[in-house]
Amino acid sequence: MNEHDIPPLPALGLEPQDLDGHSIEELSDYLDANRTPRDPAIEESAGCRIALDALERLRGISAQLLEADAAAATPVEDGWVHRVLSGIALDARAGRRIPILDDAGGDLGVTEGAVRGVVRAAERDVPGALVGRCVLEGDVMSPGAPITVKVEVSVAYGAPIPDLVTRLRDAISTRLRAHTELNVVGIDVLVQDLRRPNSPTEETR
Amino acid sequence: MDRTERSSDPLAGADDRIVAGRAADGDTAAFGTLVRRFAPTMRAYAARILPGTLEVDDVVQDAFITAWAQLPDLDDPGRVRGWLLRITSRKAIDRLRASRPHADVTEIDAPAPARESPSRRAEARAGVAALGEALGRLPAQQRECWVLRELGGYSYDDIAQELDLSVSTVRGQLARARKHILVEMEQWR
Repeated sequence: MNEHDIPPLPALGLEPQDLDGHSIEELSDYLDANRTPRDPAIEESAGCRIALDALERLRGISAQLLEADAAAATPVEDGWVHRVLSGIALDARAGRRIPILDDAGGDLGVTEGAVRGVVRAAERDVPGALVGRCVLEGDVMSPGAPITVKVEVSVAYGAPIPDLVTRLRDAISTRLRAHTELNVVGIDVLVQDLRRPNSPTEETR
Repeated sequence: MDRTERSSDPLAGADDRIVAGRAADGDTAAFGTLVRRFAPTMRAYAARILPGTLEVDDVVQDAFITAWAQLPDLDDPGRVRGWLLRITSRKAIDRLRASRPHADVTEIDAPAPARESPSRRAEARAGVAALGEALGRLPAQQRECWVLRELGGYSYDDIAQELDLSVSTVRGQLARARKHILVEMEQWR
C-alpha cells in the first residue's frame, strides 16, 4: 500500500449530518453507478466527497484482499489435490455415443469423450502445442454424417504458429482416421493462448 | 497468478480458458491444474465467509466436486475463476445455514478480538491487513453481505436470495458494514 501524503482533510463522517443529508447507502449506489449521471448535490458536498474517497479507497483495497490472503496461506499440498481428484467421477464426460459399423452385426460404439481424448493426444506429435476445448460439430451418432472438429490450442512462445497449426491439424486428422470412422470434413484450430516459457505472466481473467 | 512454464507441465503455463476447456472435456490432469491454481483463492474466500471454522477445506473440496460435474455447462471457460468463486460461496453459505438456527437473523455483535501482538500490529498498517482485521470484527450478517458483494461480486438481489434476506436488509447491512470498516480503517491512516 502507498502512504498517501495528502494535506489533512476534515474528519471522515458517515452519518447524514456529516454528509449534507445524504447516506452511505446513497453514496455506495452512486459509486456503483460510476458517479454517473453526475449528482451536483453530492459532488459539491465536502462531506460526501470525503466519504466517496474513503469508499473508493476501500474498494481498491478490497480487490486485493483475496489474493493477499491466498498468498499468505500455506501452499496447496499434493495430497490434498489428489484427494480432490479421487473424489470426482471419472466417467462423467462420456458425451454422445458414436456408433462403429460392425460387419458381424454387433453393437459397437465409442464415446465422444474418448474421441476428444484422441484429438488431445495429437499434441504429442507437435511439441509446443497444448489442446484446450475440443468440440465435435455434427451428428456424430449417424454413421457417415459430416463432422467438423473445432479445437482451441495454447502455443509455447516462440513456436512458429502457422507451421504448428498445420502440423497439429494433420496430426489430429491422422489420428481420427486411425481410431474412428468419423467423416471429418473440417478441422478448425484456434490459437487462443501463448505460453511464455520460464517467465511468469499475468493470469488471464 | 504465476503461469511459469515448466517443461514437465505445460498445463501450469496455459491460460485459464485452455485449462478449463480441457478439464470440461474430461482431462483430469487439467482439472488438477485448476485445483492448484484456484484452491488458495477459494480457501481465502471461504475463510472470509466462514471465519474461524475448520470447514474451509471441506467447502473448497465440495466446490471442486461440483465444478467438475458442471464444467461442461460453463459457457466461457475463460471465466472459470469467477465461476469457481461463485460455487465456493454457495457451498460456504450451505454450511452457514446448516450451522445456525434459522431464526438467528438478529444481529449479535462479534466478540472483541484478542489483543494483537506488536508485530501483528505493525503488519496491520498495510491497508489490506487492516481491512482483513476490520472484517473479522464485523457481526456475522454484515460480514457475509459484505464479502459476497465486494469479494464475490454478487448483486444485492443475489445476496438477498442466497442469505434469505430482503433486499432492503441487504442494503442496510452493507451500509453498516462499510461504515464499520471505514471507521476502523481510518484509525490506521
